[in-house]
Amino acid sequence: MRSEDKTAVLLVRESPGRTTDPYKMTELCGLAHAAGYHVLTEISQRRGRDHLFQMGRGKIEEALSYHPNKLIFYNPLSPSQVYNIRSELGVQVLDRFNLILEIFSRRASTREAKLQVELARLSYDAPQVRNALALKKRGEQPGFRGAGAYEQSMYHDIRGRMAKIRSELSAVEDMGENRRQRRREQGFDLVALAGYTNAGKSTLLNSLTGSEVRAQDQPFTTLSPTTRALEVLGRRVLLTDTVGFIDDLPHFLIKAFRSTLSEISEADLVLLVADISDPMPLLRRKLIASHKALWDCDVASPIVTVLNKADRLDEREAEDKAERVSDLAPHPVLASAVTGRGLGLLEECLSQRLQPLPEHEIRLPYTSQGLSQLSRLYQSTELVGVRYEEELIVRLRGKKESLARAGLDRALLE
Amino acid sequence: MVCAAVSARISPNFLERIGSVRLTHRWASSLDINLISDIIIEACNGLPGTIIAESGDLYNLEVWRVKSILGRDFKYPQTIAERTAVELAHHISLAGRRLIRDGRDMEERE
Repeated sequence: MRSEDKTAVLLVRESPGRTTDPYKMTELCGLAHAAGYHVLTEISQRRGRDHLFQMGRGKIEEALSYHPNKLIFYNPLSPSQVYNIRSELGVQVLDRFNLILEIFSRRASTREAKLQVELARLSYDAPQVRNALALKKRGEQPGFRGAGAYEQSMYHDIRGRMAKIRSELSAVEDMGENRRQRRREQGFDLVALAGYTNAGKSTLLNSLTGSEVRAQDQPFTTLSPTTRALEVLGRRVLLTDTVGFIDDLPHFLIKAFRSTLSEISEADLVLLVADISDPMPLLRRKLIASHKALWDCDVASPIVTVLNKADRLDEREAEDKAERVSDLAPHPVLASAVTGRGLGLLEECLSQRLQPLPEHEIRLPYTSQGLSQLSRLYQSTELVGVRYEEELIVRLRGKKESLARAGLDRALLE
Repeated sequence: MVCAAVSARISPNFLERIGSVRLTHRWASSLDINLISDIIIEACNGLPGTIIAESGDLYNLEVWRVKSILGRDFKYPQTIAERTAVELAHHISLAGRRLIRDGRDMEERE
């Protein structure tokens, strides 16, 4: 099916006791467009949860009058609700979580990303399959997915596949850990770009490093981490772009993307990017969701908040907004990745917040081996001074890992 | 039932200073929102600032409803520091509960 043939109607149910959130529909619409759906109409309803259809049957019938290929619900659908809507109303349905997974599976290009998406899909499927099997045993629903005699073992097959993917991903995670260690030894500081989806992380990476990573005005353009080098006021930094966060994500999806998110949790500094052009309540909501995701990732390193897309507002309005989110983002940097405004200030802030490099004094023999070690130190550390005496006394600023890599940790004088 | 109140000064990412820690306990056969709100008010009595608690502890009620029940400024944790503070209070209340139960068991044995 071509993407222009994929049509959908969006449905959002609001609970009666809760405050209306107009951004739910906007977000769902953005996700549907990112997945390649042409949205025919948007329908919302304020009522309690219907145990058969999630929303009122009348509203679903209203949605069907537009003849869409799929109905996309913001609220999560249980297996029996999916079954009821499909069998009684004869239409394919998706909920928000499955829509996100659909986008992920379309965009996943690396082996790691594909495994992560599959793990997330299986983690979602496992309890649903178990539930469907239980319903089948009770005779309330017929078999599913045309599995025939294999139905009974399907749940165990899923669990087995999940275990296999987890072990493969843990190998990827170990590789990532080794890579980070090697980069630290080479004298790099690791900085991760994190933030709500479509905040402009990839565009910021491009403008800071002058690279041409794919950046688009739509959610989840980046799935796999992308790293580029950058020099910030004498410090060598590796900037890593990561997958964006989104509100109300199930815990297992975050767990499935653990190897990607470890780029954030293991970084020396996190740049939390937010879109300042969003309306105030939405900006606060996105910042809160980002803080929650960073908490889930166990981030312990310093966080610098960048309020991106400042070019869309005038200066006073942007400063006023920054002031109003100061409880969530202390001393934020106002920047625009497109125009380059505030990037100098951001680099200054980065160099201030990165842990200062400790100063060491080492002694090297005055031999050709000692001189070659000295030339290697020029690459990975910042040399303060060299005294040519009976031996070479070198004063330098750098990480202990860099010295250990050059085999010089024993040559330290202090 | 044990309630731990941690009074702390925080910035968005860090706990800057812990002012005091207070433990309050009640014997109750069942839990309801009135009992929970009573014990929270008792534990936070005299402590200035905004009360922060996990949403699950207050039956996921909306913030404006909890504010009107408690009669105090209230919010659910939003920043990393607020989550750290709530986690700290959880650890303290759990440890306090264990101490109280162990003490009770010892009394019964004697």
